[in-house]
Amino acid sequence: MVLPSWLRLPAILFATISWSLVSASTHSFENTAIVRTVDLGGSLVHVTTTYAIRALDNGVNRYIVSLGENEARSTSWFEAKLKGQNEPLSVTTRPLDPTSDGTHSYVVELPKPLSVNGTVNLVVETVLTHATYPWPKKAAQKDDQSLKYEGDLLVLSPYKTWTQRIKVRAPAPRIISYTTPDSLDEFTTDQVATKSGATVTYGPFSNIPPSASTAFIGKHQRHVVVHYYFGHPVVEIASLKRVAEISHWGANLNIQNDIVLRNAGPTLKGQFARIEHQSQTFYNRLAPHIIPSLTFHLPPGIHSAYYYDLNGNVSTSRLRVAPSVPKAAQSNQYSTLELRPRYPLMGGWNYTFALGWDSPLADSAGYDASTGFYVLGVPVQTVIPGAVVNEAEVKIIFPEGATDIGVFPPFDPTTEQRSTHITYLDTIGRPAVTLSFKNLTDKHDGLIYVTYKVPLSVHLRKPKAVSIAFGALFLVALLARRVDLSLSK
Amino acid sequence: MSDSPTTYAAVKHFHKVVPAFTPYVPVGLLSYLAFILLTATFGLAFYFTTLSKSTIPTREAMVAIVASALGGFGVVALFCSVGVCV
Repeated sequence: MVLPSWLRLPAILFATISWSLVSASTHSFENTAIVRTVDLGGSLVHVTTTYAIRALDNGVNRYIVSLGENEARSTSWFEAKLKGQNEPLSVTTRPLDPTSDGTHSYVVELPKPLSVNGTVNLVVETVLTHATYPWPKKAAQKDDQSLKYEGDLLVLSPYKTWTQRIKVRAPAPRIISYTTPDSLDEFTTDQVATKSGATVTYGPFSNIPPSASTAFIGKHQRHVVVHYYFGHPVVEIASLKRVAEISHWGANLNIQNDIVLRNAGPTLKGQFARIEHQSQTFYNRLAPHIIPSLTFHLPPGIHSAYYYDLNGNVSTSRLRVAPSVPKAAQSNQYSTLELRPRYPLMGGWNYTFALGWDSPLADSAGYDASTGFYVLGVPVQTVIPGAVVNEAEVKIIFPEGATDIGVFPPFDPTTEQRSTHITYLDTIGRPAVTLSFKNLTDKHDGLIYVTYKVPLSVHLRKPKAVSIAFGALFLVALLARRVDLSLSK
Repeated sequence: MSDSPTTYAAVKHFHKVVPAFTPYVPVGLLSYLAFILLTATFGLAFYFTTLSKSTIPTREAMVAIVASALGGFGVVALFCSVGVCV
C-alpha cells in the first residue's frame, strides 16, 4: 500500500510513538518460567506453551507473546487462555515490522489488570501446519514411514525469562534422531537435550534476557530437527470447496464439498503392487503411509447423502445417521460416514471427489419474527483429526431476493466476495457470499453465522414466476385458438 | 439493520435463542400438495380448451389465471418433493 505524500510524515510519527510505547512496556512483565510442549503429528503439530508471568508494574494487562518469523509463518491457530479456564482471551496480532525485531507479536489482553508482583499462568495453544515433511522422501509399499520436524528451539519473549524448558513429544517412543544444539552454555550448565521414551527435553535454560530481537535470534536461537517414526497416514486436503445452499420452500440446507485429498506421506517408490496390497489387507498389516479409507463425522439428522467422483457414483461408503438434534444444542452426536476412495492412496497420490448431503433447515436456522431476521450456522469444514486443509472456500447461497445479509465467520477469512448464483426457477438470481481460508487445522471447527431477511412477498417470487410462465402459455393458447388454419371453408 | 447482531458472540447468542425455522408449508405435505395442485392445473387447462371462443374472453382469462396460479405453486411444490429444493 503506497501512502500519499501528505500522510507519510504523520504515519512515521504515529508508528514511532506507538512502537516506543510498546518498547516501554517490555519492562512491565517477566516470565518466571516458560514450558513449551511440542506434540508432533502428521500434517499438524500442536504446540502448548505455558508462561508463568509476574507483573513488574501496576495495572498492566497486555502481555505480548512473540513468535519468530519461521514459527509465525507456520502458525495457523493461536489461542491464549488462563490456566484452568476455558474462555479464550482476546488476542490482537501485529504484522511483522521488517525494520524492528524479526518477530511477530501477539498481544494478549488479560481479563484483569495485575498489580506489582501479581502472577498469572497463561497457556498459549498454537497449531503449526507444514512444519513436518517425510524423510526419506520416498518409501516402498511395505516400508515404514518417518517424518522430520524442523523448528526453532528457544521460546522468544520481549520480557526477561528466568527459566524455560522445551519438550518435543513424538506420538510413539520411536525417535530416530534429534538435534543436540551447541553453544548454549550461557544459559545452561547441564546436558542440553535428553531423550526419555517418546519425549526429547531441551533445557532447562536459565536467565534469558528479553529475546524478541534480531540480535538475540542471530546469536542464540538454534534450529532443531527431530526425526521420528509416524504410524498413521499423513492426510492433507489440498483444496476444499464447500457450497451451502439454503432453501426455504423445501426447508432444506444442502452442503456439498468438492475435496482434493492428498496423501502427504513419502512418495511411493516403484510401482503399486496389487498383490502386495491384497496381502497386507488380508493380514491387517497395512503400511502406515497408505490411506485405505477415511471416516467423516457429519452433522446429525442428515439424509440423501451422495459421494461421487469424476467417473461417477462411488458405492464404497457406509453412512450411519444420528437422529436430528435441535438447533444450537450442545450435542456431541454425529453421523458417521466411512468412505473408501476408488483406490487406496499411496504416498503422493491424490483423489478428487464430491461429498454432499441434505439436512433439515430447522436444525441449523432460526427466525426472529419481531425483526424479520433469519439466522443460520454453517460449519466451516468437516474436521478430519490431524489433517490440514491447504485452501478452503465456503460459499453460502441465500434464498432468492434475500436482503440485509450479515456474515460472521468464527475466524478471519483471507477474502470475502459477494456474487449472484443462478439455479432452478430463479429470475433475479440468489445472493451468495464466498469466504476463502488458508491452512485450516482440526481446531478450525467453528460455525459461520449468517443473518438475512426474506419477507413473504419475496418468498412468493418463485411461484409468481412459474405462474407467469403458465399464464404466457395460456395466452398463446387463447390467441392460437382464434387463428383459423383450415385450408377450405 | 440496527436490529441485527453486530458481533460474533451476539449472533451466536441470537442463533441460540430464536425459534427454529418453520416453512410456510410442512415438508411432508409438499408431495401431496404438488399432486393436488398440478392435477387441478391439468383439469382447468383441459376445461380451458373446451370453452367457447367469445369476443371478450372473460371466462377463458379467469380459468387461465386460476390455473396459472395453481400451477405456479404446484411446480414449486413438485421441485421440492423430488429433491430439487428451490
